[in-house]
Amino acid sequence: MKVAVSGLNNTDNPAPGIPVIKSLQDKNELIGFAYDPNEPGSFMPSMVKRTYLMPYPSLGYQELKTRLLEIKEKEGIEAIIPNLDAELPLYIKYQKEIEDMGIKLCLPSHKNFELRNKNKLDTLSKQLNITYPKTYEISSVAELEKITEKSDFPLMVKGNYYKAYMAHNLESAIESFYKISNEWGFPILIQEVVQGEEINLVGVGDGKGELKGAVAIKKLTTTQIGKIWTGVTIQNERLMQIAKDFVSQTAWKGPFELECMINQKDIYMIEINPRFPAWVYFATELGVNLPQMVLDIMQEKEIKPLLEYPQNKMYVRYTGEFVTDFTDFMKLLSTKEL
Amino acid sequence: MKVIEELVLDENNVAFHPMMGNSYQLNPIAKEIVSAIKQSKSKDEILQELSLKYDVAKEELFIDISDFFAKLKVYGLLS
Repeated sequence: MKVAVSGLNNTDNPAPGIPVIKSLQDKNELIGFAYDPNEPGSFMPSMVKRTYLMPYPSLGYQELKTRLLEIKEKEGIEAIIPNLDAELPLYIKYQKEIEDMGIKLCLPSHKNFELRNKNKLDTLSKQLNITYPKTYEISSVAELEKITEKSDFPLMVKGNYYKAYMAHNLESAIESFYKISNEWGFPILIQEVVQGEEINLVGVGDGKGELKGAVAIKKLTTTQIGKIWTGVTIQNERLMQIAKDFVSQTAWKGPFELECMINQKDIYMIEINPRFPAWVYFATELGVNLPQMVLDIMQEKEIKPLLEYPQNKMYVRYTGEFVTDFTDFMKLLSTKEL
Repeated sequence: MKVIEELVLDENNVAFHPMMGNSYQLNPIAKEIVSAIKQSKSKDEILQELSLKYDVAKEELFIDISDFFAKLKVYGLLS
C-alpha cells in the first residue's frame, strides 16, 4: 500500500511516526506528513519516499481537505496513519469524508474517542472494572484550594489532553494549574496519586470488538518527561484482560495505548491514548506488527490475533545523528514538500 | 498466590517478576531461600535445612533469615 504517516519528530520527545514507518517499510511505500520542517523523519531517505508539510490542525478541516486532495492527486496515497494527539480529533471527526476521497483510515469512532477523554475515564473504568484514581475537574484556583482541603498531597495536576505535573504543596499545584491552563486551556484535572509501578500496553482493535494484537511493557528508565529509554516485556493477565474488555465493550477500531499503575492491591487506569506510542517498534521486533495489522484491518483482511510474545525482552532506545543538505530544509520550507 | 511464587529465577541469581517487570539481584543464599519459599517450605523448614547444609547455629541463622523475610515484605514479595 502507499501509506502516509505523520509524527516524524524523532528528538528527545519522539513521535510514533518513525517507529510506525520502520514497521511498515518492508511491504509498503511510505510518505511522510510533517507539521514542522525540523522534524528529522523528513530528512531520512531510508524512511520516507517523500514528505509533505501539512496545515496545522488548528486551521480546521477545510485546509486539511484541500491539502489531502492535492497530495492524493500527486502521490496517489491509499491510506493514512495519523499518529499525533493534536491532529486526531480532525481525522476522527471527518474520517468518512476522508475515506470518501479514496483514502483509508483505521480510527475509533468519535464517541469512543470522547469516551477515553481524561474527564470521562472514570465512567469507562467502572465499566471495565478497573479502579480510576479519584479525579476532580476544575476551572479555577478557588476550586483547587477547596480540593486540597480534603485531599492530601502529593496530587497530580493534569491537562485534559496534555501535560501532567506532580504537586507536593498548594503553591506548586497553583503554578502547574496556570502552566497547563495557559498552554492548553480548561478543564484542569486534579488527581490523587497512586503509589505503584507504571505498566503500559499497546494494542489494536478491529472495530468489531476483537483485540487483534497487544504487547505489554514496563518502562525501566525514562527521560525527564517520562519518555522511555529502556523497557522490558511483561506478561500481565489482568492488563491483557482489561485491553480485551476495552476493545470488546467499545468495539474500538485502530491503535491504542493503555497506561496503568499497578501495586500489590490493585491495578489503576491512568490514561488511554487513541494512537500508537513511540515505542511501538518494540512490539514489531517481537513479532507483533501492530502498524501492519492496522493496514490489514483497513483492507478487511483476515487477521489472526497475536496476543503472545517472548518474555524477558528488553527495549533499548538510543540517539542517532546524520548530516543532510541545508537546501533540503529550505526546499521543504518553501515548497512544502521534499 | 504470593508474589514471590511468580518470580522467575535465572542462573545469574536474578529474580524477575513477569507481571510487574521488576527484577531483583539475589546472592546465592537469598536465591536458595526464595527457591525454598517457592516450593512452599516454611520459615522453620528453611532454617533447619540451611543450618544443616552450612553448619551454622540455628540461633545465628534465625536473625538473618528473619531479616531477609522482613526485606521480602518491604518489597511486597511476601504478605
